[in-house]
Amino acid sequence: MSEHSILVVEDEHTLRRLLEYRLGKLYDVRTAANGEEALELIGDHAPDLIISDIMMPKMDGFALQNAVQNQMETRAIPFIFLTAKADEQSRVKGMRTGVDDYITKPFDIEQLLIRVKRLLERTKVFQTQLDAKIGQDFSQKLMPKKLPEVPNYQLFFHNSPREHGGGDLFDWMEAAPGSYFLTVGDVMGKGLQAKFYAFSFLGYVRSTIHAMLRTTQSPAEIMKRVNQVLMDDPPMEETFASLLLLHWEPENHRVTYANAGHCRPVLITPSGPEIVEYSDLILGLDRNAEFRDTKVILPEDAALVAYTDGLSEQVLKSGEMAGETGIVESIEAGFGESDPIDAMLTNLIDRSESAEFGDDILVLWLQRQHTAVDWFSPFAADAQP
Amino acid sequence: MQVTTMSFTVEPCSQETVIVRIGKALDFRNAAEFKSTCQTQVRSGARNFILDFSETGILDSTGLGSIFSLYRQVSPLEGQVVFAAVSRPVQVVVQLTRTYKVFRQFPSVEAAEEALQ
Repeated sequence: MSEHSILVVEDEHTLRRLLEYRLGKLYDVRTAANGEEALELIGDHAPDLIISDIMMPKMDGFALQNAVQNQMETRAIPFIFLTAKADEQSRVKGMRTGVDDYITKPFDIEQLLIRVKRLLERTKVFQTQLDAKIGQDFSQKLMPKKLPEVPNYQLFFHNSPREHGGGDLFDWMEAAPGSYFLTVGDVMGKGLQAKFYAFSFLGYVRSTIHAMLRTTQSPAEIMKRVNQVLMDDPPMEETFASLLLLHWEPENHRVTYANAGHCRPVLITPSGPEIVEYSDLILGLDRNAEFRDTKVILPEDAALVAYTDGLSEQVLKSGEMAGETGIVESIEAGFGESDPIDAMLTNLIDRSESAEFGDDILVLWLQRQHTAVDWFSPFAADAQP
Repeated sequence: MQVTTMSFTVEPCSQETVIVRIGKALDFRNAAEFKSTCQTQVRSGARNFILDFSETGILDSTGLGSIFSLYRQVSPLEGQVVFAAVSRPVQVVVQLTRTYKVFRQFPSVEAAEEALQ
């Protein structure tokens, strides 16, 4: 199957067959003998480009072009007129109605192929630019502009969306003074579609948290509700997402989390890293899925690191994906550095096959510091005899 | 009769059960094709899908998503999606997403066939 489909509208049998044959080597070609037939075919499935004769029985090229122009869905389809009429009048009329190109018979088929190619390329470039712009816009909206500022803690966050990356998301809110909800997730799929779903999904998550906070602070209960909402809403039918919901209470250094099939976070302390193991089923699969809360206490100097699968799927020099083991190694390299995420990513890239990341990447690094006394009195030690 | 599409081979095994050979990869490049292959099968009456992962080296999140779509499609019809001969890279993804809670796993296609009879 070709990437592009072309509709050829021509009443003369031989020419129609010739065009079908020549264009058919490069594109998916459908043919019609007049405007009426063409409109039917367009109704079934809109082509990427239309090549049409002008003088035809039943419905001529001008009428067809007019009908295509008047429909929102078909208005943007590139249109090439093909006609024996070399007269200036038709050309002017064609141009005035928004025809993209105009070829007079007898024509050189190679010339036609070049023009078709050029028109399709132009449309594609335009589409790609538009996608990139919308994608970038979504990506920005999927990430908060600032991070919580909490005594004794330092938060680091890094996100680099890629045009063809997936739907990574991060969000946080202060539910009550000293009580934070942090959300890290990944909506399955690639490209603009995934970003769009991630954007809608984030809306669900936010509104569910807000609505439920009146009655619960349990991430597991909120997760269960998000899953049900996702399962019950037909537009989200094809949406699957992994989600890590963290309820963080900095004052008692406690993080309570529920994990729906998301990359398992890593707890790292001066004595070493460990994977925060417990997790449940990914969202969107089973309406009755159960989720469980797990508590993690952050000791002094410890960090809790969450990330998305763009990192663990990064291919290393060995040809294998980094996986959890690979990520843990990089987290160890970042631990204790002034910019731990930067050090962690540098380490991972150094071990990678490619010098850049192949997918969206997202890292959240929640660092507990020395107790306030030590932190704010760096010279305290010197004062001791 | 075997039906071979670009990368997926489908073998009927009973009236309601088919085996889909996943091949080397199920990822963003062929997930759409996997989806349409399975849809055709569901339309012609298949309810149970045995996915053969014996040769699979790559399963990414888009690929897994297409399996999830299939699951959502057949589970209201009392159908099942089971994994057979799961390779190590596939096992990693299944573990990470905790989807072994939904997709039963069998050491071989034969074992899966037997269980689904």
